[in-house]
Amino acid sequence: MPVPPESRQSELVQGTLDMLILKTLALEPMHGYGIAMRIEQISKGVFQVNPGSLFPAFRRLERAGWLKCEWRATENNRRAKYYILTDVGRRQLKTETRAWGRQIAAIARILEAS
Amino acid sequence: MSMLRRFWGGLRALFTKWREDGALDEELRDFLEQRAAAKMRTGVSRQRALREARMEMGSMDSVKENVRAVGWETAFDSFWQDVRYALRMLRKSPGFTTVAVLTLALGIGANTAIFSVVYAVLLRPLPYANPNQIVSVFDSQVASPGPGGFSYPNFVQIRRQNTVFSEMVTNTLHQLTLTGVGEPTEVNTSSVTPGLFAVFEAKPFAGRTFLPSDNVQGAAPVVILSEALWRSRFGANPNLIGQSISLDKRPFTVIGIMPASFRFPLMLTDPNEVWIPLVDDPLFGPWMSRHGGHWARTIARIKPGVSLAQAQAEMDAISARLIKQSPAENAGWAIRLEPLQTTIVGGVRTPLLVLLGAVGLVLLIACANIANLLLSRATTRAREFAVRMALGAGRSRIARQLLAECALLGLLGGAAGILLAYWGVQSLRSLLPPDLPQLHTISVDLWVLLFAFLLSVTATLVFGLVPSLFAADSSLHSTLKENSGRSGEAGSHQRARSFLAAAQIAIAVVLLVAAGLLIRSFDRLVSTDPGFNPQHVIMANIALPQYQYSQPAQWAAFGRQSLAKIQSLPGMSDSALAVPVPIIDGFINLSFTIVGNPPVRPGEDLLADFVSVSPNYFHLMNIPLLRGRIFNEQDSMPASRVAIISEALARRYFPNQDPLGKSMKFGFPPDGNTSREIVGIVGDVHDLSFDHAPGPMMYVPFDQAPLWGEDVVVRSSLSTSAVAAEIRQATASIDKDLPVTNILSLPEALTADPSVAQPRFRTLLLALFGAIALLLAAVGIFGVISYSVSRRTHELGVRMALGAQPGAILKMVLRETLGLVLIGIAVGLPCALGASRLVTHLLFNVKSYDPLTLILAPLVLVAVGVLAGYIPARRAMRVDPMIALRYE
Repeated sequence: MPVPPESRQSELVQGTLDMLILKTLALEPMHGYGIAMRIEQISKGVFQVNPGSLFPAFRRLERAGWLKCEWRATENNRRAKYYILTDVGRRQLKTETRAWGRQIAAIARILEAS
Repeated sequence: MSMLRRFWGGLRALFTKWREDGALDEELRDFLEQRAAAKMRTGVSRQRALREARMEMGSMDSVKENVRAVGWETAFDSFWQDVRYALRMLRKSPGFTTVAVLTLALGIGANTAIFSVVYAVLLRPLPYANPNQIVSVFDSQVASPGPGGFSYPNFVQIRRQNTVFSEMVTNTLHQLTLTGVGEPTEVNTSSVTPGLFAVFEAKPFAGRTFLPSDNVQGAAPVVILSEALWRSRFGANPNLIGQSISLDKRPFTVIGIMPASFRFPLMLTDPNEVWIPLVDDPLFGPWMSRHGGHWARTIARIKPGVSLAQAQAEMDAISARLIKQSPAENAGWAIRLEPLQTTIVGGVRTPLLVLLGAVGLVLLIACANIANLLLSRATTRAREFAVRMALGAGRSRIARQLLAECALLGLLGGAAGILLAYWGVQSLRSLLPPDLPQLHTISVDLWVLLFAFLLSVTATLVFGLVPSLFAADSSLHSTLKENSGRSGEAGSHQRARSFLAAAQIAIAVVLLVAAGLLIRSFDRLVSTDPGFNPQHVIMANIALPQYQYSQPAQWAAFGRQSLAKIQSLPGMSDSALAVPVPIIDGFINLSFTIVGNPPVRPGEDLLADFVSVSPNYFHLMNIPLLRGRIFNEQDSMPASRVAIISEALARRYFPNQDPLGKSMKFGFPPDGNTSREIVGIVGDVHDLSFDHAPGPMMYVPFDQAPLWGEDVVVRSSLSTSAVAAEIRQATASIDKDLPVTNILSLPEALTADPSVAQPRFRTLLLALFGAIALLLAAVGIFGVISYSVSRRTHELGVRMALGAQPGAILKMVLRETLGLVLIGIAVGLPCALGASRLVTHLLFNVKSYDPLTLILAPLVLVAVGVLAGYIPARRAMRVDPMIALRYE
């Protein structure tokens, strides 16, 4: 088993991976590794993204019509599959973000109450 | 929207699977490379970086598997895999597959064929608009309700007074002769009131339908043709409307043509037909002004929103008014309504449902057989499943695969069954009694195919579920621990198999008893003495053009003339005239009074069958003269009127009196009040059918009561066709436009009579189903016993090594067999007794608890069961202890 490099690293909250991918792609189209890196970087290494869940998530989002993909040349001139957020995906991200915000607030209230 | 997209995505993925897989591979490799490159930047060696990256990712295959599992197409993929695997398994055991598919095909095919008949006859709505509004309107005697008609004046009153019918029509059926276009031919002619087409909401294809003014005395005769007749006889002539055609040598102007989709009456198989106004009917037209009589058969359409009960209530009120108005005519009669569908199919409903039930039981036996086969396979395959489960296959995955095998069997069996049904329907058509309504519409159509499909799915569930229910307790652990799959069968399996075999026997008992009852009943029916000897008797019908030969004197003269000609033909040993010929022609029921007796109360008419015959008839038909004399040549028109009565009439209406010398008043209208002296008493004859007791009959000399057509009966040793040719020639020499029809040999015609043909049909089918049930049950017993023997090879070997005699082994196995059969019979016999009540009124002179059948059917099963057990028992007897002991 790979030993986690940092002790504060943690698993993603269930069901948030899709939203994080959409959020990452909202900035610009990106390939798989780039998306994983971006999530790790922005979360300052808190979330480590496992390819075993990342790639099924791509397929799922693609099927739902939130992503589309395209083969493009990477920054170091290799061929890679780039994922692009569709308009439907952008709307989905908005609703998910809003729902997430509500959930967080609710959870926070519950935790403060105790 | 998104569902559709997912569907398309999956579909596309299915067809571009290899390309997507390649892309995924590349993407994952790329991911690894980049991950490794990132690690190398922190200073580790490329090798180590790659290894760490791989370890983080885990198995690449499992990632790919996860990605693929996102879409629905993976489920399809594994389903396809199951089907392929199932196909391979079925191919690997061709014996099992053949037996199972054939058994299932037999069950489903027979069910589908019978269902196609049931559907066409009972379930399919009548081919008219809003058919459930159409009812039969009967004038029926309160004492013995029957399907009677009205007098025309009563019909008119009911039609005028009621508020519940949108239209009412009366109709009678005749055969008129169409001449002037090709050979003279008889066409079915319905004489109807103008409302016919309104009742059935049918529109003509060309021209118009009848107007009320067409049906008044003195109106110009008009006719409406069926499309079939218009095409076959008039070459689809578009200008036929307005032209004249000749029916019974009378000109009728064609006013309309009905489309082929319109059929009335429904029981006619020949689509060539015409409709004329009732006023033009050669027989009933003149009767329209006459009060009394019950000849106008009536059909009506109930207004939308009016219930049958409401309509019946109004009919009761009208009936009461009619009685008040003219009690002599109407007392004792009531108006009775019945849906037309019931009128048409009422008689065949029970027999068809009984057949459907029986064939359903056959399928149940077939399913039990297949379940049994599957159970023994499941036992032998227990190790295969245990190994697969040990290798990581989930329980559900294995269950799914078993289900796929069953479904494949079910579908194969269903497909083969449908083929069988196509063939079965072809042969059923020739077997079906010809008077079955809607016979021509029987086919394997969409609904029937749907039924077959549902049936095979249900059957699959039944035989597929049983083994999985009983196999549920087979645990992985215990199965793998067993040394051999053979002795590893759980006791519950053997119990299940025995239970299934006994159940098969029980069902077979029910079917055999039902078949036995019908066979006994049919045997009684056909061995009934009709009261006359039909051997070598041939009959032919000569119809006189009813408008040309309109006078009774003409009919009598024609009768004498034709009889003289036919008698002089070579090869005729005897000839006579008769109207009607018993059973084949049906009967003419007339009321009579006995001269000197007080008048009868209204509604209690004395009724007897009226037959007009030439003197030689009794001798020709071998009807015995019991007392008095038969007719002679002197009993003609100017002489005093005479009659001969049957024994039944004498017994019923002249108790303790001598009828000879007394007089009765009766006759075919307009001779209704003629007094006739009884000169003889003859033996009883089955007038209506074999299964009705002979009714009272009164015979009159043809010369004294001629009819406008006649049946010639001859006794001849010549063939039917030779006699037919001679009679045709003799008739043409009198009048070349007379058609001779309905030429039948009496024995053949009696066999084809519905009162024999319908019982023959159902008896034949039920006997067939009984035989199939017997065969399947025998196969079931054979399977269980031979399996049990092979399972016990080791045990038998030990017994024999310890000195058991082969005879004892044989007895032991046979005892096991007999036990199964007896349990089945013990359960089946009470069921059979219950079921036989359902067929009670299909039985003729046989009780539903007929002891012979109830003893014979189980005996047959015991014999067949023991025979089926004997074959494996013999094998058990020959077990070589050395081989048996080394076997495991």
